[in-house]
Amino acid sequence: MFHQPMTFKQALELRSELGADATVINGGTDVVVAMNHGAIKPTCFLDLSGINAIRKIDRDNGHLILGAGVTFAQLGKLHVRTLKEASLSVGGPAIRNMGTIGGNIATASPAGDGCVALLALGADVQLSSKDRGQRWIPLVDYFIDYRKTALADDELIQAVRIPYNPRSRWYKIGKRGAVNISLVCCAVSQNEDKKTQLAFGCVGPIPRTAPKASALLNGETLSAELIDDVANLVAQEVSPIDDQRGSAAYRRAMCSTLTKRLLTQLMEDNPKGDADA
Amino acid sequence: MPDPTPMEIPMTQVACTVNGEAFTRDVPVDSPLLEFLRDVLGLTGTKGACLEGECGSCTVLVDGETINSCLMLAAQANNRSITTIEGLASGAELDVIQDSFVATGAAQCGYCTPGLIMSARALLNDRPDISETELLTALEGNICRCTGYASIIEAVKRAHRESQSS
Ligand SMILES: Cc1cc2nc3c(=O)[nH]c(=O)nc-3n(C[C@H](O)[C@H](O)[C@H](O)COP(=O)(O)OP(=O)(O)OC[C@H]3O[C@@H](n4cnc5c(N)ncnc54)[C@H](O)[C@@H]3O)c2cc1C
Ligand code: FES
Ligand code: FES
Repeated sequence: MFHQPMTFKQALELRSELGADATVINGGTDVVVAMNHGAIKPTCFLDLSGINAIRKIDRDNGHLILGAGVTFAQLGKLHVRTLKEASLSVGGPAIRNMGTIGGNIATASPAGDGCVALLALGADVQLSSKDRGQRWIPLVDYFIDYRKTALADDELIQAVRIPYNPRSRWYKIGKRGAVNISLVCCAVSQNEDKKTQLAFGCVGPIPRTAPKASALLNGETLSAELIDDVANLVAQEVSPIDDQRGSAAYRRAMCSTLTKRLLTQLMEDNPKGDADA
Repeated sequence: MPDPTPMEIPMTQVACTVNGEAFTRDVPVDSPLLEFLRDVLGLTGTKGACLEGECGSCTVLVDGETINSCLMLAAQANNRSITTIEGLASGAELDVIQDSFVATGAAQCGYCTPGLIMSARALLNDRPDISETELLTALEGNICRCTGYASIIEAVKRAHRESQSS
């Protein structure tokens, strides 16, 4: 069966009825790749791509609210620098027209670039079900283990909420220019109270924050020494693995290097922050 | 080992517009748009190669935006309007981008060409002024194994100039 609801309410009803029997699909950039590789053979789909209501970006009290169906192409036009740059690093333009932030979060790849940017920004994710209503949880609590998340079989991701962070930065090390999966990526952001958060991709089973290193930064004015201390702590805190794309030791070193580079950029930044985050 | 009993793939109906013409067809629920265009509608201008979003040879426009037709399901194209390479020329008159690819020798084997032209079409539809970076970004999802890209970039620039002056 192919279900193509036009409203999110209908989608939740179908999700409640079909549960894990229906493959949820939006942009298809993860699902159809897996089908083309023969890794999955779904025969029942719940397609969210016809629901316009989840393709919107709203502002609410200084927060940005992204519908789950907002594409990387849309995010690439935002002024939140870490999310903009993360989004523009995904695939080519056609992939960015298809791939959605909800799909990125649901897939929960340790290399999920959107997830890493959102973690640094301190985002919350809204999970909704027909029977139990809507719940907001911090994105950092959503990722449990390798591709294991807080999303239940009767839930869909509805939206993401991003607090105001006037400054943020992004860097991804990958092996090819355009269409690249990252080897390591790092996002940093700073809110109005100078609370600074670091997040990393490809350094463990899930996209992650670095709470110890981030704690060193909080409330402190950035200085070269402080940045060195934080970068050293990051190397101890992350636990990357060896794989075909790179070694653990290399990744660990790059986490330090990127932390230093991005924090230094924040330190030297325009004190007013990035234009209109 | 013989395949265990193949699973019956259900069908679903898709109604869409392709190059201005309305079609309603039954398609397997798991069939990519690429397969629908090529095997059901016989529009073989759109190519498939990697089937994983890396090469761009399957690029078409859906409601005016580029997508990789190897990664969109045909059923998802329901109620949408699709433009393929076959939809660009009017009769014997080539689209300005097609004409420029011929003029600058931007095609060798030609396998990547339809996808590149669709990416370029979306770019030129989108904006009157384009920077070098915007041009390169618009083409970054399309791989060519033959030309080395210089003549392709030249072709798109020429098409841009021609469409500005006409
Ligand atoms: C060529 C290529 C390059 C890529 N490069 C990158 C990259 O650089 N960085 C990166 O992070 N990713 C990359 N990706 C992966 C992919 O584009 C992203 O993960 C994308 O965000 C997935 O979104 P989608 O809408 O296409 O998801 P789909 O494929 O439609 O779905 C993905 C998963 O999410 C579930 N899902 C989708 N929406 C919801 C929802 N609202 N609620 C609950 N579940 C949902 C689906 O069931 C499925 O499990 C790349 C993919 C390709 C093909
Ligand atoms: S065949 Fe679709 S991107 Fe390569
Ligand atoms: S002309 Fe042969 S792949 Fe581009």
